[in-house]
Amino acid sequence: MSEPSDDEVFAHFHDVRIDHDNIAHYRGLMAGRLLINRCDACGTWIYPHRPLCPQCLSWNVTPTQVSGKGRLYMYTFIMQSRDPGKPLREPMQAAAIELAEQPGLRYLSRVVNCPAAALAHDMPVALTWIEENGRLWPAFQPEGDAHG
Amino acid sequence: MARNPLKDKIAVAGVGSTAYGRDLARTELSLGLEAAVKAIADAGISRQEIDGICGAGMTPLAMGGAGFLSLQGALGIERCTWVKNGWLGSAFVYAVEAVFSGLCDTVLVVQSNLRGTGMSRAAARDPFRLRAAQYGDVGGDVGLGDFAKRWVHSGEPYAAMMRRYMHDYGTGQDCFGLMAVNNRAHGARNPAAVMRNAITLDGYYESRMIWDPMRIADMDVPVDCAEAFIITTAERVRDMRMKPVHVHAMSLGGARVGEFYENTLGWTENAFWVALQGLWARSDITVADMDLFYPYDGYTLDAIAVTEAAGFCKPGEAADFFKSSWDFSRNVLRLNGRTEVNTNGGGLAMGRAGGSNLYAEAVRQLRGTEGERQVQGAQTALIGIGSFFHDPSAVVLRGC
Repeated sequence: MSEPSDDEVFAHFHDVRIDHDNIAHYRGLMAGRLLINRCDACGTWIYPHRPLCPQCLSWNVTPTQVSGKGRLYMYTFIMQSRDPGKPLREPMQAAAIELAEQPGLRYLSRVVNCPAAALAHDMPVALTWIEENGRLWPAFQPEGDAHG
Repeated sequence: MARNPLKDKIAVAGVGSTAYGRDLARTELSLGLEAAVKAIADAGISRQEIDGICGAGMTPLAMGGAGFLSLQGALGIERCTWVKNGWLGSAFVYAVEAVFSGLCDTVLVVQSNLRGTGMSRAAARDPFRLRAAQYGDVGGDVGLGDFAKRWVHSGEPYAAMMRRYMHDYGTGQDCFGLMAVNNRAHGARNPAAVMRNAITLDGYYESRMIWDPMRIADMDVPVDCAEAFIITTAERVRDMRMKPVHVHAMSLGGARVGEFYENTLGWTENAFWVALQGLWARSDITVADMDLFYPYDGYTLDAIAVTEAAGFCKPGEAADFFKSSWDFSRNVLRLNGRTEVNTNGGGLAMGRAGGSNLYAEAVRQLRGTEGERQVQGAQTALIGIGSFFHDPSAVVLRGC
């Protein structure tokens, strides 16, 4: 499969602010790959998507696939929808996932295939993908679980 | 002739520029960073010498773009005691006034411009520029398509941070509950408050869960309101009709993480701590001298953070400290048996004014004009307002 064009990325993520600094990340999502920028000069992972390494000020930054392993740094159960017209059917499990690649490197995601009572700080989790309205999105589940 | 105390006292030390082109196919931030890196090199300083940033933006808190929040994070500048956005002529002047006032020593000013879709027909056909124009504001698409951008700027992470705080310090929710009880008790005595009913700690625990573990009693009450202030020199105020309240010291604060709140720095490393440390480095009056304390209570978590960042107690010890500081006769806090807290009920009881009602209440208490609610003999007030991520202020006011 060839890489989606810019126009295809814009169309697929019609409700996301795509820009020159993050388009590679979203192109990756379309292919089921979670890409985070990494500095070629010193190896620092850079998130959110920015073109300059904050550690060594190098501009040689490459979107790089992460291992998908991480730990649950912090989480909340969102009980109330922001849109009164669309109440939540069940609480949303929102979590900051500390990616294994670097301390403090965190990605906001949902925790799936895990009952609320089983969530715990620092528990190991692994990347999976969920489908919503025809689009694939990253999510995390307890490490070792079968693919959701 | 007008006063001009800054005459010849402030200097420009470095300049940096990017290429100019009709379509450089880059973001505002990327261009701003290039100019910034060049200006820092031109000045021959380390970027960690920068303790103030004025970014590009029409609003003081413009997230994304080349605003100060993105610039500080992207440049890896650890701590600032002054940050702001400006555009057209203002940014340069803001920076000079900040250095002159002593709020910081070395400011990075960045102004980044893109050819806008409304300025050029060719630009109006560029999908990148169209998308930027579509989602131009604070974070733009926050909470829409990509869940991962939901906490670019959001309240929900504060609930997760509250849970992490309890986990890391092995403490329960009583500190948050006691802050709510205190503010609601003061609110019950404030005729202007929208919440006039006091609550108990049990009542706090019974209040509705919104973002577990954060309850509705942890959140300020959204209202329609306004506050205004007139600020002038100590010399001029002497001839005016009201008893003056002096600004003794103040600081802003900026830390490396100001957006994408899942990346929050540690409890003691965020912008509140930077602001309070910036304040104490400038203030002759100490935390032990405070008659009044106004910690921002957008969420009770904010008030706990300001209390601990101010040094009233050690990190993680607010619950025990509040219990030993409780005035059972009025069901309110008196920190160390002395300092009264959020005497108008703050945002939790009076209503959400973004903290401006805390400044207003502090001024009136220091004037001594609060009638039945007056804290007798109050001469000093500490105000700490803002977010873990943006716009924190720390101010000491003094009566006379």
